[in-house]
Amino acid sequence: MNSIEVEHLTKKFGDFIAVNDISFQVREGEIFGFLGANGAGKTTAIKMMSGLLQPTSGTAMVAGYNVVTQSKLIKRNIGYMSQRFSLYNDLTVFENMQLFGTIYKIPRRELKERIMDSLARLDMTKQANLLVNSIPLGWKQKLAFATAILHKPKIVFLDEPTSGVDPIVRREFWNLIYETASTGVTILVTTHYMDEAEYCHRISIMADGVIRLLGTPDELKKQVGVNTINDVFVEYVKH
Amino acid sequence: MKELRMILRKEFIHIIRDRITLMLVLAMPVALVLLFGFTISADIHNARIAVLDHSKDSQSQAFVRKLSSSNYFQVVSYPNTETEIDFQFKENNIKLAIVIPQNFENQLENEHNAVIQVIDDVSDLNIASILNNYVRAVVQEFQNEYNKNTSMGEPFSITTKMMYNANMESVYMFVPGIITLIMILVTALMSSITLAREKETGTMRMLFITPVKKVYVVIGKVIPYMIISFISTIVIIIISVFVFKMPLNGSILFLLLLCIIFMLTAASFGMLISTISTTQLDAMMITMMGLFLPTVLLSGFLFPLNSMPMIFQILANVFPAKWFILAIKDVMIKGSGFFDVWEYLTILFAMAVIFISISLKMLDKRN
Amino acid sequence: MDALNIQKVNKVYNKTVHALQDISFDIQEGELFGLVGPDGAGKSTLFNILTTLLLPDSGDIRILGMDLINDYKQVRQEIGYLPGTFSLYPDLSVKENLDFFAVMYKSDIDANMDLIRPIWRQIEPFSKRKAGKLSGGMKQKLALCCALIHKPKILFLDEPTTGVDPVSRKEFWEILQTIRTQGITVLVSTPYMDEATLCDRIALIQNGKILGIDTPQAIIEHFKGTLYTFKSADIFSLLEALKSCPLQCNYYPYGEYCHIAFYEDMETAMPKFLQFLEDNKQEHGDIEPIQPSIEDCFIEIVKMNRHE
Repeated sequence: MNSIEVEHLTKKFGDFIAVNDISFQVREGEIFGFLGANGAGKTTAIKMMSGLLQPTSGTAMVAGYNVVTQSKLIKRNIGYMSQRFSLYNDLTVFENMQLFGTIYKIPRRELKERIMDSLARLDMTKQANLLVNSIPLGWKQKLAFATAILHKPKIVFLDEPTSGVDPIVRREFWNLIYETASTGVTILVTTHYMDEAEYCHRISIMADGVIRLLGTPDELKKQVGVNTINDVFVEYVKH
Repeated sequence: MKELRMILRKEFIHIIRDRITLMLVLAMPVALVLLFGFTISADIHNARIAVLDHSKDSQSQAFVRKLSSSNYFQVVSYPNTETEIDFQFKENNIKLAIVIPQNFENQLENEHNAVIQVIDDVSDLNIASILNNYVRAVVQEFQNEYNKNTSMGEPFSITTKMMYNANMESVYMFVPGIITLIMILVTALMSSITLAREKETGTMRMLFITPVKKVYVVIGKVIPYMIISFISTIVIIIISVFVFKMPLNGSILFLLLLCIIFMLTAASFGMLISTISTTQLDAMMITMMGLFLPTVLLSGFLFPLNSMPMIFQILANVFPAKWFILAIKDVMIKGSGFFDVWEYLTILFAMAVIFISISLKMLDKRN
Repeated sequence: MDALNIQKVNKVYNKTVHALQDISFDIQEGELFGLVGPDGAGKSTLFNILTTLLLPDSGDIRILGMDLINDYKQVRQEIGYLPGTFSLYPDLSVKENLDFFAVMYKSDIDANMDLIRPIWRQIEPFSKRKAGKLSGGMKQKLALCCALIHKPKILFLDEPTTGVDPVSRKEFWEILQTIRTQGITVLVSTPYMDEATLCDRIALIQNGKILGIDTPQAIIEHFKGTLYTFKSADIFSLLEALKSCPLQCNYYPYGEYCHIAFYEDMETAMPKFLQFLEDNKQEHGDIEPIQPSIEDCFIEIVKMNRHE
């Protein structure tokens, strides 16, 4: 079953076409790498898919809901995490998770259980009452991810979740992504680390608002005739 | 110097491109002065007054004519006793009463001095003070004419004596208050916010790693906003004098000089605030809470200082606005010159020097 | 003469956070030196100190023979700085920004045009556009022009490529190479390990400490383990299974492959490993020895430090 179905999605800002007639599907439980150059239209596309931005034309079904007519239901059924904004620095780890859990209307007693569960899984139970400010970036990002899936969304959008994170924590982060996907959650992730692109089940490469390539990492490498996704990317996104 | 010119140019580009702020900064003073002005002038235009003339000689009658021919007053009754005046006040029939002593003409000619009593309705201090001012203006005019016409003898003076509120400190006017607020809003707030903005965007760091002198950065920040608030001040004064007929007794040039010194103080206070704040929001909150609010409350602009608890009266000395308002009132209303208000000026100037040196020190710290 | 000489620099924030601990290294004139490490490693703190914006708690730094702490005014004339976040005036046009910084540095655009021309040519068509309206790559090029406008002897670049796509990153490094050929010493920080190989020498940094300084080649040669790579049908279950592997090894996913570094005698270890995979029913491709990348080295060094 598909959890994301994008059909002819287009967004224009005045004369500028940010997203130009893109179509693709993402299966349930799939890790989908949404790659592209800076300014290729990735963020605009993600905003439309998460119901934050009305498309100019075209449509998308996300988690079974229509982005144009049912944006409220979509917001309730997706998780979102970005490298720029994730958690409040001046709240503790627990308070942050409590805040976001409450926003998603998780009943109070259950919320506490879920928070303790996910902290235990991250091996961060001891840090529950530390200010987010005082924990290392890598942990923050893992925590932000755990917070984004606290309300058990069907789909999680991750916007450059590992930017600037050290190589070991990056791998730990991907371990979390794998674990989450294996429970049936669909993951759509953007990254500028091309080795991470290889961890995805399928990837798309966007440039100038259009999806240039789409397929499994192996398919794309064969199709372009190179050995790494980095080379595929460079080949297809020449300026 | 080329650096300073460039910084100024850059600052003006910021101001011109930020249309909304520019409009706000230029329109706000006009709006404020019109708002205050019309509210108050509705009450004071052709204010109803009573005159108790104990002399009834030619000079006292000339003075009464002067009063009623001014646009400020409308003499509605000529009572014969002070009890009648009380009665008129209680009936709310008059806003002010004037008592001319016996032998007015005689006193003027022989003693070169006469005392005119002014009795105010203290239920509205602001209006009372404005009306007092108008009486002074009329007295002044009367005096000038009298001295001109009588070539003989020395010039004389008239002392007004205020009843009910005999101690009312100076006269209160909304114009000095508004000028103060505008200068603080524009110079202190804008320069502290824009400096904090440079911290936020990181351009401050870029500036500081260039060899440019920090004092240029600071001066370059301050001058443009001083110019804008200077323009605003002139606009306020023009509106006050021509629209609301406010008397302006002192030298206009000295008044403007006074404003420049106060702007410098306000701006240096703004600099100090921006050195301790890291974001625009910080800068705004600190300016509003630490400077604007105390200015409104403690400068004697809205609430008379000497009716406040001692602690506030002492606290008021720390804020530049009190000194400025004291000075500007004297200049605008009493017509004081430099030698009358030099103490206030010195205090303001000293504050500016202290604030600027602390800010420069703080900016130079590398941690 | 060294362009930069850093000795035992320490910086502590709020008495508890050791941002920099005993950092010492030298950079030779004309060198392209990379500071490689994740966010929060202390790179930005070091840059703030080197660009005279922050005082270290202790330590000695000389830039081109000048004492950084006392002669900071002279130092400022000789250094250029590209901060990690866009730090120009967004409401000023491209040309206005460049003019502004040229005057701040008491410099002349025409006199130094030769140096910045290759970069300037790319943004010149937008010279009237406001800097805030430029794309990310263009902003960076403008910032670079502003940082070079006074022909500095040393250029500091704080994570110029973070969050930048691979194509733009490649372009940016090509620009850095041309700057270096002009005789300018370059110190650049990056969280991308693959960019390390483009530097003459690198320092690996984490948690305020330097883990190693050398040429990329030497760092790779000093890799202690024996590194192998192979593909797996299901990398997630493979990683789970490897948790119980009895051999001295270090494994992690690396793109579509699994990298595993052994700290054993391979003659005996490899058969054991193959047996282990078979016992755990792990399907895998050919297991081949591979030369480590800087990323492999970084992972090895960090993990070894953790165990100590």
